[in-house]
Amino acid sequence: MSYRPCGVYHQFYRQDHAWWQTKFVWGKMIFLGIFIFVLFPKFAGMYLISVANVVGYTILSAMGVQLLIGYCGQITLGHAAFLAMGAYTCTLLMLQLHIPYPIAMIFGGVVGGIWSVLFGLPSARVKGFYLIMTTMAAQFLTVEFFITQYVSQIGGRGVAFSIPPGTVKIGPWMIRNDLDVYYLMAILVVIFTFIMANLGRSKIGRAWIAIRDNDIAAETMGVNIVYYKLLAFFVAGFFGGIAGAFWVTSLAAVSPEHFHFGWSLWLVGVILIGGVGNIHGVIFGSLFMTLIPEGLKFFIFILTQNPFFVNIMPFLPLLLEKFLFVKEAAFGLAIVLFLIYEPNGLSYRWWQIKNYFNLWPFSY
Amino acid sequence: MEIFLQLLITGILVGSIYALVALGWTLIYKCSGVLNLAMGELTLIGAYVCLTLYHWGIPFIFALLLTLLIGFILGILTEVLFLRPMVGEPVLTVIMVTVGLAFFFKGLVMLVWGTDTVVFSPPVFPMQPIFIGKIVIGQVFLWAFVASLVLLVAFVSFFKFTKWGLSMQATADDEMAALSLGVNAKVVYALAWAIAFMAAGVGGTLLGNINGLNISVGYLGLLVLPAVVLGGLNSIPGAIVGGLIIGILQNLADGYLSRYTPGGVKDVFPFAVMVIILLFKPYGLWGWVRIERV
Repeated sequence: MSYRPCGVYHQFYRQDHAWWQTKFVWGKMIFLGIFIFVLFPKFAGMYLISVANVVGYTILSAMGVQLLIGYCGQITLGHAAFLAMGAYTCTLLMLQLHIPYPIAMIFGGVVGGIWSVLFGLPSARVKGFYLIMTTMAAQFLTVEFFITQYVSQIGGRGVAFSIPPGTVKIGPWMIRNDLDVYYLMAILVVIFTFIMANLGRSKIGRAWIAIRDNDIAAETMGVNIVYYKLLAFFVAGFFGGIAGAFWVTSLAAVSPEHFHFGWSLWLVGVILIGGVGNIHGVIFGSLFMTLIPEGLKFFIFILTQNPFFVNIMPFLPLLLEKFLFVKEAAFGLAIVLFLIYEPNGLSYRWWQIKNYFNLWPFSY
Repeated sequence: MEIFLQLLITGILVGSIYALVALGWTLIYKCSGVLNLAMGELTLIGAYVCLTLYHWGIPFIFALLLTLLIGFILGILTEVLFLRPMVGEPVLTVIMVTVGLAFFFKGLVMLVWGTDTVVFSPPVFPMQPIFIGKIVIGQVFLWAFVASLVLLVAFVSFFKFTKWGLSMQATADDEMAALSLGVNAKVVYALAWAIAFMAAGVGGTLLGNINGLNISVGYLGLLVLPAVVLGGLNSIPGAIVGGLIIGILQNLADGYLSRYTPGGVKDVFPFAVMVIILLFKPYGLWGWVRIERV
């Protein structure tokens, strides 16, 4: 919790527990809402919208990772497996049984959750490094074996399931282009953030945080550790499944390559850079990890357009051509440097800045 | 029966390479408590360096020795630059640093050497297989086995009989006591990383000789994890035996189970084994049992 500005006093507990405590914050949030739902889609071009969709997908996927790592302290390196389960369940239900998209999406979430609990079961016996190994095994067993070899055979469509245009619709609202995907993404992000924030401050969230901080003490205080750990795995898998089912809308075809091991690690990196144990962390991490590489790419592109810079640095066009690898290396370096120099992540910086202005000019 | 023997022997030969890389992994864990998830990328770097040197016309043996030297330098650099600031941090933070390193190294490797499969040309080892009774063994496998055996013996005798090896053992056993007896922990950590880099580099080179070299050789680094979990994380004999067993199991699964599935058993079977071990015997064969009720 951050400090309140000078001169704001609370008289009721209700005020103390409110998310948005002052008129200024209300105004800020309403402006943010208008910006996301009205201004941004109206004025941003198609390129920015598609970048925003990637940011939103990263937020949705990283939310479950944040829950497991940041809140419950159970490191997961196989979250893409749960995304994949959600995406494939949703797609198969739509293509094979012609179930409407929203219901298929919720089924995808439930299957993702159950799958996650299945691989979370060892967490009742082991923790730390051994649990990391289990979740990693989940990634390989699910995506590389189960989905690639078995699930992809259903219906005889080949490895990639292409989704005919017009299949994905919510009631009368057909999701056809990036703009529709953007609106769906924005709604889902708001819902996810709302659920996550409120879970975090309820009994369940307190139990998770207790398990993260000291599991033995939590058990002595009467927290049912196994139950709450498995609940954390279920909710995280559910978030993952929904996120995967959402991403189906913007993919022309669902295939196992979208859910590889690198993406699992990427999600962990997102919350490490954003800040662990903090919802802001997910959002800042996703923004940083998507916008910085895009900006970098744009910068290199501009440099290559100018013959002067290309003469100085002849490797520039090659760099642009192999940008994917540059991005990967930069991402790895970013994780390492953040862990060494800013272990609390971007959200801690944000918290400091906010408090500085809230307390200004009397900082003591 | 011939099929079984064939699979068994191939498994042992490949498993010896896994054992070599697993040895490097265990060493880092024993000495500095770092659980290294970047092992696959270390194998990639070593393999590509050796390949480049070989293609420059340096004889294979010297290329391999140079790879060892470069691995030594890179290992020390990695430790000093990235791991030393993390001494004393929580275990999971350090694991994440190694994940970051994995991305970094992989990105660099793909940037420098590309993603196409390259082979050692001209081939280092003769192509004709050797026949023992009805069992066929490729010479590559045999030489890889010999090379990893030599290196395993070299590394193990380094621990047993040299001053530095003994101080590494002492640090692994009890860091505080070792420090008070004048062991330089910094040098020991750096040495552990250097040896891991060297072992991984040789392992990668040998694997690259078998199947050609591309980014999927880095997958070996992940196969090391089932091996060390099976052997117990902090046991050097455990790592060697674990590597051999994983190699054998992988080949047996490939031989016997792949007809019941559409494919891909070979790649995931070690992980399935690992999950089962984690459920029933999480400390492996010879790991230190730390009873932690969860």
